Amino acid sequence: MNFTFNEDDIAFQDAAHRVCAEVLKTNAARYDETREFCRESLDALGELGFWGMNLPEQYGGVDISSIAMSLAVEEIAYHCAATCSSLTAHFLATDSVLIGATEDQKQTLLPQCASGEKLGAFALTEPGAGSNPAEMRTRAVRTSDGWHLTGTKHYITNGAFADFLVVYAKTDPDQGHRGISAFLVDRHTAGLEFSSPEKTLGLRGSHIYEIGFDCVLPLDALMGEEGAGFATAMEVLDRGRVEVAAMSVGISRAARDASLAWSKERIVGGKPLCRHQGIQWMLAEMHAQLEAAKLVTYKAADARDSGQRFSLESAVAKLVASEAAAKVTDAAVQVHGGYGYISDLPIERYYRDARITRIFEGTSEIQKIIIGRAITA
Amino acid sequence: MKILVAVKRVIDHNVKIRVKPDHSGVDLTNVKMALNPFCEIAVEQAVRLKEAGLASEVLVVSAGPKAVQEQLRTALALGADRALHIDTEVALESLAVAHLLKAVVEQEQPELVLLGKQAIDSDNNQTGQMLAALGGMPQGTFASALEVEQGQIKVTREIDGGLEILALALPAVITTDLRLNEPRYAKLPDIMKAKKKPLAVTTPDALGVDVSPRLRLKAVEPPPERQGGIKVASVAELVDKLKNVAKVIA
Ligand SMILES: Cc1cc2nc3c(=O)[nH]c(=O)nc-3n(C[C@H](O)[C@H](O)[C@H](O)COP(=O)(O)OP(=O)(O)OC[C@H]3O[C@@H](n4cnc5c(N)ncnc54)[C@H](O)[C@@H]3O)c2cc1C
Repeated sequence: MNFTFNEDDIAFQDAAHRVCAEVLKTNAARYDETREFCRESLDALGELGFWGMNLPEQYGGVDISSIAMSLAVEEIAYHCAATCSSLTAHFLATDSVLIGATEDQKQTLLPQCASGEKLGAFALTEPGAGSNPAEMRTRAVRTSDGWHLTGTKHYITNGAFADFLVVYAKTDPDQGHRGISAFLVDRHTAGLEFSSPEKTLGLRGSHIYEIGFDCVLPLDALMGEEGAGFATAMEVLDRGRVEVAAMSVGISRAARDASLAWSKERIVGGKPLCRHQGIQWMLAEMHAQLEAAKLVTYKAADARDSGQRFSLESAVAKLVASEAAAKVTDAAVQVHGGYGYISDLPIERYYRDARITRIFEGTSEIQKIIIGRAITA
Repeated sequence: MKILVAVKRVIDHNVKIRVKPDHSGVDLTNVKMALNPFCEIAVEQAVRLKEAGLASEVLVVSAGPKAVQEQLRTALALGADRALHIDTEVALESLAVAHLLKAVVEQEQPELVLLGKQAIDSDNNQTGQMLAALGGMPQGTFASALEVEQGQIKVTREIDGGLEILALALPAVITTDLRLNEPRYAKLPDIMKAKKKPLAVTTPDALGVDVSPRLRLKAVEPPPERQGGIKVASVAELVDKLKNVAKVIA
């Protein structure tokens, strides 16, 4: 077992650190306050090739290890969790294509996704089907020269800002989850209706939308094979959960670092906060929780590169890292006292931003179901 | 035009540095290291000259332990064509580096040598000047603008009280100031490509340079801790304190 990062991992982490510490950090508080979409930060990452981190070189990506990618995602979340969420939603869309699409579809679409020209959205969740997407009601019916798509998706990250959406729909409702197929839908297709962005607790720079579909798609909008959609989505989420874990680690690390710095500066009762045992124990716990979260995250990332199934590792990473983020950001508010509750400092934003990591891409309860089933099988 | 850029590995400028308890130096354990910001400006300038068709090749060189290859890779990712690592564990002084660079200049025959005006760790601000003197080359230090013209280079220098413009015959040595350019960020695909660019390794011995230290470091002290302020009762007392305690007025 080797716990050191290699040269490439460090080079990518460094590259991410540079742009994040300068560009993303500058925009993060503004996005949070104004709910402006994180376009500028996303585009800055796009220009530098970060939109293609999850893709192999043959499709315009950069072929980096999942560890390097996790470190970069962590760095992005450290400075702006909203931008991180929009970027990882883009990865859910492009991972869908990578895993489920035909070679032609990959060649046509992926290079522009990697280069920062085309932003994707991943549309699985519906008002009546969240934790159990197999219950989805969106329908795609084959017509003589294409597909007729009807239904409603919601909470779709990037939604109206996306150039294309990967939409999961039932093509054969009698087949249960085996009757689900994925479709590549251009943003400008007639018959798409976007809500205004939802007013969210955190990640305010990363918009989510309800989208109504009543549209006609060309035949080749079917992504890959009919009936393979659900399997694709599950594989995509296995990958995505490693990124949510990395995002959780990034937010936790930001909260830990801020708390350490604050506790050394702030004098209470004649000495720095960090010299009071009660606070020092909080800091110690934050640090230990963060370290544990990092390890499961890097382990899942490593498993993701192994070529074996890694559903268990990624569920463990997501569960542990997201729950740790909740505890660490909560403790960060406590260490800061009233200052942690006021938006002059980013602490209360970390607290709000961290909350989503226990919900999206499968709630903590769903992760426990996955883990429980795997270890009792 | 071939350009040689010298770069140094230093502590990242965001790191709060700590002096070792025995005052023998700065604590480097687990400290994030980076390309010296002024060197990064030098690399950027060289790459811009190449992109503008004014340079044919950009060679980066760094002297130090194996770890400096990290910074050489960064420079390659930013657009340099090849790299040279002068491998040594000796703590190098400016004059030793200048001698090493002179040896590289003799081998490589660049028409322009770009360096940062100083490194943010030791703040010596002398390697470029020493190299120019040793190599008998004209120098333009603290450059805030460069213009390459037929066989010469116009350098705008930031000096006390204004700007000075020099025209230097090539080959020349130029050290870069903060306002010369804003370095780009490395692109991920370029970081991958940098791995395939040539990185040669040599040693001070192979270059025929003796790098043994000539100075002895006696102690490194952190700056004095900031003391709390005091209240003065009158202007007269203020003037007195400024004169006799702070010693900022005569
Ligand atoms: C900011 C944000 C961004 C999002 N982005 C996207 C996106 O880009 N694409 C997309 O498709 N979706 C997206 N989602 C949707 C997200 O994935 C779902 O909200 C999530 O999967 C939970 O589904 P739900 O909201 O329907 O909750 P429900 O499924 O209604 O769950 C409610 C509660 O019941 C629990 N629960 C459910 N089933 C079980 C069970 N079997 N046993 C025990 N407990 C259970 C859950 O854990 C939860 O606590 C996003 C959501 C948010 C808030």
